[in-house]
Amino acid sequence: MVPFSHILILAGITFALGVVCVAVRRNILMILIGVEIMLNAAGLAFVAGSMRWGMPEGQIFVLFLMAMAASEVSVGLALVVYLHKRKRSVDVDDFSDMKG
Amino acid sequence: MDHPVTYILLLPLIGAFINAVAGWKMPRRAVETIACASVGGSFIAACMALAGMDGAASVTLYDWLSFGGFSAPAGFYLDALSVTMAVMVSGVSFIIHLYSVGYMREDKGYARYFMLLNLFVFSMLNLVLASNLTLLFVGWEGVGFCSYALIGFWYTVPGYATAGRKAFIVTRIGDVAFGVAIIWLFYLAGTTDIPAINALASSRIPAATATFIGLLLLSGAAGKSAQLPLTVWLPDAMAGPTPVSALIHAATMVTAGVYLLMRLFPVVSLSATALSVIAVVGCVTSFYAATAALAQHDLKKVLAYSTISQIGYMFMGVGAGAVSSSLFHLFVHAFFKALLFMGAGCIIQALDEEHDIHKMGGLMIRMPLVFLCFLSGALALAAAPGTAGFFSKDEILTATLSNGSALYVVLWAMGELTAFITALYIFRVVFLVFRDEPKASPKRLPRIMVYSLVPLAMLALVGGLINAPANWGGTERLSAYLEWGGVAPALKFSRQWLVQGVSASVSVCGIAMAYYMYVYNPAWRKKAAARLSGIAGFLSAAWYLDALYNKVVVGTYVMVSGFLWKKVDGLVIDRSLDGTAAGIAGAGTGLRSAVTGRASTYIMSVIIGAAAMLAYFAWS
Repeated sequence: MVPFSHILILAGITFALGVVCVAVRRNILMILIGVEIMLNAAGLAFVAGSMRWGMPEGQIFVLFLMAMAASEVSVGLALVVYLHKRKRSVDVDDFSDMKG
Repeated sequence: MDHPVTYILLLPLIGAFINAVAGWKMPRRAVETIACASVGGSFIAACMALAGMDGAASVTLYDWLSFGGFSAPAGFYLDALSVTMAVMVSGVSFIIHLYSVGYMREDKGYARYFMLLNLFVFSMLNLVLASNLTLLFVGWEGVGFCSYALIGFWYTVPGYATAGRKAFIVTRIGDVAFGVAIIWLFYLAGTTDIPAINALASSRIPAATATFIGLLLLSGAAGKSAQLPLTVWLPDAMAGPTPVSALIHAATMVTAGVYLLMRLFPVVSLSATALSVIAVVGCVTSFYAATAALAQHDLKKVLAYSTISQIGYMFMGVGAGAVSSSLFHLFVHAFFKALLFMGAGCIIQALDEEHDIHKMGGLMIRMPLVFLCFLSGALALAAAPGTAGFFSKDEILTATLSNGSALYVVLWAMGELTAFITALYIFRVVFLVFRDEPKASPKRLPRIMVYSLVPLAMLALVGGLINAPANWGGTERLSAYLEWGGVAPALKFSRQWLVQGVSASVSVCGIAMAYYMYVYNPAWRKKAAARLSGIAGFLSAAWYLDALYNKVVVGTYVMVSGFLWKKVDGLVIDRSLDGTAAGIAGAGTGLRSAVTGRASTYIMSVIIGAAAMLAYFAWS
């Protein structure tokens, strides 16, 4: 039996990796992947909690999370395709039209 | 709806409506016919109401205002006072409408003119006949509006529109007091119905309150009737067309204040103090205005001050408790003052809009009919023995003397002095305009203008017979009729011969002195005038009352508004708003650098913010 705290640490490390990926990378695809990693880290924490307190809600949450992640990725990728069509680039810094 | 009162009121309103809506499309003759016919019909209906009267009657046309414990129906109260007044108003209005047809023959704004004139007649009759104070107030403000619009009728002439505004604002001051009085009476009596208030007055109104209400009503009346201290608007109101001066600013609207005091006489008379104040205000005003009339150069201004002065007599009559005498003088004054104004209008138009009496002269032979009519008006105003003005003024003076107390004796003496000045100033005008050497030759006038003077001249000369006193073999029919109609009976006069003797000699002396100064020995007058030029200036500026108001009231107002505009609005409000706007703009410029447009910066700030929030929650 893996201790609860270990799972939480793993989830924390995974989340931090996702954050760093989002913050550091300039490629839109990599940023989307970072977001996915963060979502999955949260899912992992949910499952661990569900097991720890013996309650099914955490697992239900994870199912929702997966559905949301799937739809988010599809929308996100559609946007990426569109952006790429506009500027032939997937670098976020090329899309700075909102500069004040 | 088949009561005559419906037609009295409705006909002028319909006339005004038609001329307002379609007047600008209709030919001049049609507009004139509609206006004159509607007022003529109204006059006939008023005569029918007078003939068919058997005691006071209330007529309710429809429910106008009604909520909670308050109700003010569109109801009309016909008693001896209101019906005789309605007959006078509609009759004089009809004659002046006819005169206007001639006077306004070349004016382009005839539809607007006749529409306002008809609307005025409607409002005035509404004021006269209304059975409750709420409806009376509607008429009261209606005539005020028409007066404003007609004073400024030639609004393109500089100063004329200002004169209209001045009249409107000054009378508004009195109207505030009148409004307070209405609300107070409603509070005390629980109704604004005039007969009910008069019936309840003695039981519901405490003595101290009665004085206040009396004074509030006096203030309202003083505003409308141009009594001191609110006289200043009437001389300026002469900017309007002359028939308007004759109708509104001599015969009808300005007497509305006196009428109000008569209508609510049971309330006013509860307080002896209020009555004395009314008498004093009337007496002082009449003296003041008569002296001011003495030195005017503008023919219409003389008549304007004369109107103020004569209304002062009416106030004095009410203050002495002689309502019927006062109403008698109101009628007679309406006849002779409308006549004098219409005569003045004839002269002014015949001399190409010349207003200065020193530039007229010798018109006796060139305009004989106008001269005769003007002379009969002047005789009535000067209260020459036997004319209508003699009887009516004499009744007021007798009533004042008979009142008994020392104050009223002083007022009587002042009234006689004023009567002397009155005779002097009006015959000064007569001699200067009609006797002096001719200075210009008059144009021909349309016949309708000149002939419409004749009926009024007859009334000014012999109209006094309706109320001639008993010691002249008269029957005092008007007084008897009003007494039968429930108006407080006139005092039984004592020493009537004495008063009549004094009045008659005073009037004759005044005329004689005017003759001496302006015809017999003008050189003496010119010498005296040169020595007294200071006094003449003082009188011709009407004791500098207008200048005083300009300085104190208008000056203060302009100063305060200038302060509010430049300091409060300009410095405080504008600056604080400008400062806020500049601050926000500066903050925007400063914060602009935070908006990089780079997604990574935003993501970093989201992460840092989330981390800070987490740290905060973990901490607490």
